[in-house]
Formats: sequence, C-alpha cells, structure tokens
Amino acid sequence: MAALSRALRLRLLLRSLLVQASWNYRTMQGAGLGFALIPALARLCRDDRAELAKSLRRHCGFFNAHPYLSTVAIAALARMELEGVDSEQVERFKRAIVSPLGSLGDRLVWARWRPLCSLLAFFIFLMGAPWWVAVGVFLASYNAVHLWLRVWGLRLGWREGREVGRALMGSPLRRLPDRLTIPLAAVSGAVVPLLALALGGTAGIGPLFTIGIALALAIAGYGRPGLAGRLAVLGLLVGSLAFVILGISIW
Amino acid sequence: MISRPIVAAPLAGLLLGDPISGMWAGAVLEILSLRQLPIGASRGWDTGPAAVAAATAALGWEAGPEALLVAAAYGVAVGWVGSWSVHGLRHLNARLVAGDAAALESPMRLTGRHLSALVLDLLRAAGLTGAAVICWVLLEGVHGVAVPARAGTVAALVILSVVSLGLGVDVRMMARGRRVWRAAGVGAALGVVIGLWLR
Repeated sequence: MAALSRALRLRLLLRSLLVQASWNYRTMQGAGLGFALIPALARLCRDDRAELAKSLRRHCGFFNAHPYLSTVAIAALARMELEGVDSEQVERFKRAIVSPLGSLGDRLVWARWRPLCSLLAFFIFLMGAPWWVAVGVFLASYNAVHLWLRVWGLRLGWREGREVGRALMGSPLRRLPDRLTIPLAAVSGAVVPLLALALGGTAGIGPLFTIGIALALAIAGYGRPGLAGRLAVLGLLVGSLAFVILGISIW
Repeated sequence: MISRPIVAAPLAGLLLGDPISGMWAGAVLEILSLRQLPIGASRGWDTGPAAVAAATAALGWEAGPEALLVAAAYGVAVGWVGSWSVHGLRHLNARLVAGDAAALESPMRLTGRHLSALVLDLLRAAGLTGAAVICWVLLEGVHGVAVPARAGTVAALVILSVVSLGLGVDVRMMARGRRVWRAAGVGAALGVVIGLWLR
C-alpha cells in the first residue's frame, strides 16, 4: 500500500482537529468523522457522486472515540475505503475500534497528562515563576503530546489499516498512563504546602500555623479522601476557624 | 486548550489589566475541574466562560483571599450554567447534523452544517461569558460591603481545604497506589516552605 500523499495526510490531520465540532447525543462524533473523511472519500469517488453520497452517509452514523486518537480511526478507515473493503466490514471495524481508542485516550490524556500539565504549571507559578511562564509551560507541554498523538495515530492507522486494534494492544502507549501516575502524585503533593504558604502570606497567617495546616490537610486529603477524609478536613477547618475566630495565637 | 482555566483566566486578567489575579482564580478553578473527565456523553461545567467570569471577579484579589474565594465560587456558578447551555447545544447539533439524512450525503452541506455547529458553540460561549461579566459588574454595586475582621484568614483556610480535599480525591482516582510519591511531593514542598521560613 502506497504512503498517504503529504497533502491528503495534512488535510486529514487538520480536519481531525474539528472532529468534535458538531458533537451530539444521537451520533456523537459521527458527523465529525464524515467531515474528516471527505478528502479521502472524494479522492476515491472522484467520478461517482452517488457512491460518494452513500459512503458519506455511512460514515456519519454513530462514532465516538477520544478526539486526539480519532486520527487512528480516520486513517484506518481511509485506507480501508481506498482498498475497497466492503461496507459491512468497515462498519464492524468502526464499532470495534471505538472502545480501545476511548479507553486509551481517556486514561492517558484526560486522567493523567492534562492534570499533570495543569498541576506542573501551578507548581511553577507557586515557586515564583511569572504567570506567563506557567501558562506557556502548560500550553507547550500539553499540546506537544496532543499533536504528537494525532500524528502518531494517523501514521499507525494508515500503516495497520483494519489490523490497527491489534497494533494498539501491543503499543507502548498502553503502559504510559501507569507511569505518569508517579509524577502526577508527586506534583499534586507538592502543590498543597506551597499553596498554603502563598495563601497564608496574603491572609497574614504565620508560617508555623501555615505549615501545620498544610501538613494536616495533606495527610487528611490524601490519606483518606473518602468520607473519613471529608470529615477530617471538615473537622480541621472548623478547628482552625475556632482558633482564628477566638483570636488564639499560636505563631 | 486555551479554554482551560489556567490559561483562559490569566489571559482574561491580562485584558483587564491584572493577569496575576486571573492566574490565581484560574489555578483554583483548574484544580476544582481536574476530576471532570469528558468521557462519553458526560457534561462537566463549562470551564472557558467560568474562567473569564472568575478572572473578572478576582480583579485586585491582593486585597485578600476572600476576593479569590468569591471569584472561584462565581466561576463555578457560571460554569454550571454553561454546562446546561452545552446540553442544549448538543440537542440542537443532533437536529443539525443527525436529523436530516439528505444533508449528510453532500460534502458541501455536511461541511456547512458541521462548521455551523462550531459557530453556534462559539456564540453560546461568547454570550454566556458576556452575560457573566455584565452580571458581575452589576453585582459589584452591592459588593462593597465591609469585610469582617479575619475574613481573609477564613477564606484562605476554606480555599486550602477545598483544594486539598479536591486534589486528594483526584489523585486517589488518577494515581491509585502512589502514596509514597504523594508523600515525597508533600515532604519536598514542606522542605521548601520551612527553608523559606528559616531564612
């Protein structure tokens, strides 16, 4: 199978950026998938408008995947269409690929990478960096992975075609979410004491009190985040307020 | 990703002349919104308009954490209203791109409808943001109440508690079994705090 032409690849990639534009409860990203596939389908059905209409309508049915990894499906579907795979197989492939793409993308991007980038930016700001540096770090780090995922997905989808599900199962990307939990846990832990210091300084609370509160909140919040943790934080808050309101000075 | 609070709020603050206050409001909102995972048809609060509303409300928060607390609460309220407008838009999109089969057979018509949905979302978010800013400006007329003594301390403790608990829940969900690393992060930052204090 020949490589995708650079122009077609670029058009598929750019259109994948808008795959969620018309997200709806009925077909979810269906119209977005059809929109993204228009260049490939138009190339395939250059002289057959009826076939183009039929293909487009088929692809505008239900589809939903992680938006950044939708390029995997877009490229694989483009290849299947250009290879002339029959429509029933294409539909089966679409139904089968939705879950792996959603699961991998949600765990990797929404649940790990985005929180890590956000907390890292806040951590940098709390350490004294200018606000625009923190914002720049967030945008650069987050979008580097975001855009890489889209390009990687496009290449993988085109290379593997209908076998892309198997390639995803063996991909090193599957282990990445677990590895990201380490920096995510460390940065989220570091944010609380620094936030306590910053807020305490503005509110005129002394450092000893700040350190105590931060430590107690960190232990209560991270150690027992369920109902017990909520009660612990509530108790801590009520106790601290009592100290403050009664004017008891411990710093 | 410019609609994330940690980006949108400082940029809105910059336009209003106070990016630092915007950054603080955005950071608090960002942490509060971390647990919202846009999976399937889930619908969290709309972070873009929320961030701009919070940045507007946080202007001049150097006066004390109470202003930051009010700003974050206002942002969450606007974001919650925004989530209902997103719900309505999704129903509208269904009619636009999934209700008319003929529209899905022509590349031109499909492109037109798909991009119309994008424009509708832009108008929705812009309208909500504008309304939120106007409401805040009107509310500011009654905002000038005397702040009780120690309100700043109370506000600081409330923000800290909410953020700490929120992070605890989020990290339990997203980084299960990494207590040692969490403790290492807390310990390292406490070391910095104590070091700064001793200096």
